[in-house]
Amino acid sequence: MPSFSPDRRSVLRGAATLGALVAAPGILRAQTRELVVGGAAGHKAWVEEIVVPAFERKHGAKVIFEGTRSLVNLEKMQKNRDRPYLSVVQMDDPVMILAIKEGLLDPLTPARVPNLAALIPGTVHMDGMWANYLQPWLGIAYNTEAMRQAPTSWADPYDPAYKGRVILPSLQNTEGLANLFVAAALATGRSLDAAQRDVEPGFRKLAALKPNLLTVYTQQPQAYNLLEQGEAWMISSAMSSYALERKAAGAPIGLAAPKEGVFAMPSGVAVVKGGPQPDLAFAYVDMLLGAELQQRLVGPTFSLPTNRAVPRPAGLPSDLVVHQIDWATVARERDGWIKRWDREMAI
Amino acid sequence: MSAPTAAPAAGPVPARWPRLARPDPVALMALPAFAYLAAAYGWPLLVLLGHSLSGPDGISLAPFARFLSDPFSWRVIGNTVRSALLVTLVCLLAGYPAAIALARARGVVQALLLLSVILPLSVGVVVKAYAWQIVLRRDGVVSQALVGLGIWDAPQRLLFTETGLVIGAANVFLPFMILPIYAVIRLIDPRLSEAAATLGASPVRRFLTVTLPLTLPGIVSGVAFVFSLAVSMYVVPSLVIGDRYQTLATLTGRAFLFLRDEQLGSTTAVILLALAVAVVVGSTALARRLGGGGLS
Repeated sequence: MPSFSPDRRSVLRGAATLGALVAAPGILRAQTRELVVGGAAGHKAWVEEIVVPAFERKHGAKVIFEGTRSLVNLEKMQKNRDRPYLSVVQMDDPVMILAIKEGLLDPLTPARVPNLAALIPGTVHMDGMWANYLQPWLGIAYNTEAMRQAPTSWADPYDPAYKGRVILPSLQNTEGLANLFVAAALATGRSLDAAQRDVEPGFRKLAALKPNLLTVYTQQPQAYNLLEQGEAWMISSAMSSYALERKAAGAPIGLAAPKEGVFAMPSGVAVVKGGPQPDLAFAYVDMLLGAELQQRLVGPTFSLPTNRAVPRPAGLPSDLVVHQIDWATVARERDGWIKRWDREMAI
Repeated sequence: MSAPTAAPAAGPVPARWPRLARPDPVALMALPAFAYLAAAYGWPLLVLLGHSLSGPDGISLAPFARFLSDPFSWRVIGNTVRSALLVTLVCLLAGYPAAIALARARGVVQALLLLSVILPLSVGVVVKAYAWQIVLRRDGVVSQALVGLGIWDAPQRLLFTETGLVIGAANVFLPFMILPIYAVIRLIDPRLSEAAATLGASPVRRFLTVTLPLTLPGIVSGVAFVFSLAVSMYVVPSLVIGDRYQTLATLTGRAFLFLRDEQLGSTTAVILLALAVAVVVGSTALARRLGGGGLS
């Protein structure tokens, strides 16, 4: 008659197995260091193909990239303020300012992030709270079948020849801000940098663009749909990271860099205050700012490098002026601008 | 002569209260829906109202006063009401005959007609909005047809105009007009109209004095459905007319999602709700008055 009568040995063996099972995850966790990075869903492909393998090889740590949206990352930081699980965030500059207001970021220092010294001016913000690792740029996207000549100036969309053929981004969209600065510059004859400080004349100038407007978009894909189908001829202003990706995919569009210069769009990276693995976090930021990685990223992201040692992507004029946007002013004034824009640009 | 109790005060009440004390058991069947709506709609609504009325110094109507004293707000309210009324009108004009045809049809034809009303509901609003973008373009089907018929001299664009918005939205909401009217027409005894005919009423008179008053309840529910859907539509205007045409719904969305201005968002949301309720209640009352004369 078979019966189950545990002897001392089997009980000990069982206990040991159980103990190992309970302890194993802790041991594994101690062996593999993990770094959680919050970023944009659209960045997932190149982060996981280029950045993550390079970092894991160099630092022997695992990187988990959570791709959502800038505002979602902000919310994750707010909600987990006491026990942050994100170590690094890659977010749009305007959202960085919100995070700083809430005290959620740790400043970058040259000691911990040596590559800060290698960056071009205007790409380290608010005493090192965040830095731009790449800069998509804003130009004028145009349909190459409808327009024989590429636009050459920010004034081109105002030409009466393009009645009903121009699309603008909403001022609510980050890429839409450029139009206000451009309009202020066109109205006053000031430089694009100086025009940012007084946008008042810009609103009046923008109203003159209304007959040429096909629409004002908040959804980027819709605008490109209209441009690629030829209903719209120009999107002013358009992001290189989106427009050039569509062009590379075979869409009949081009992206012109106007002679007055282009604007740099924000791609910021920052370290979360009190986040896990701070050393790895700063190392990750340093790597993103380094020449070696940026060299590999400018192609797939259709963006400008921020590291001085990396040349600009081919096809851009060598004397191209890249204007930086003053995000602190934008953060302060934007809500008022949007309300004004709704009034002035209404159908 | 005992001490006076509360009894005299309760005197007139019993005549009305017993009915509530012994609720109709059938009414209990509404309990799950009631509980769900109370938790998912009633409570958040109270929170929203609270937000819209709370200023820095406690409860105040200041947010409403501030919003309504701005001429631009009236423009937004005008856009909202005008577009919703136009959509409702188009749906009624197109939907009423369709509902009659649907009710009169038999067999396979009716099944096909019903399917063609209901099936479009399964297509997402975003897909429809994108489709209208193609149809309403300068070289789109509508423009080509109108030029071909000689109504337009040159191709024009309807996309990103109020007309385009109304056409596109009416397409999305049409089933909500057809189905309630159809449900009512089905119940009407066809002999009523025939009786009027034997008494010598012309077709127009038969329609105006018999069919129309009898279908009024269906029209009212259809109008209430379509208006409340159209007054609060968000996806259709943002894709078919764009950022330059603000309505209360798009402004509410922007206030919450972008400006992070809960005060503004709750104020516009409450005004939007008040508008929808006013039109639904008003049209029901109007129908009762009109229908009361016609039916009794």
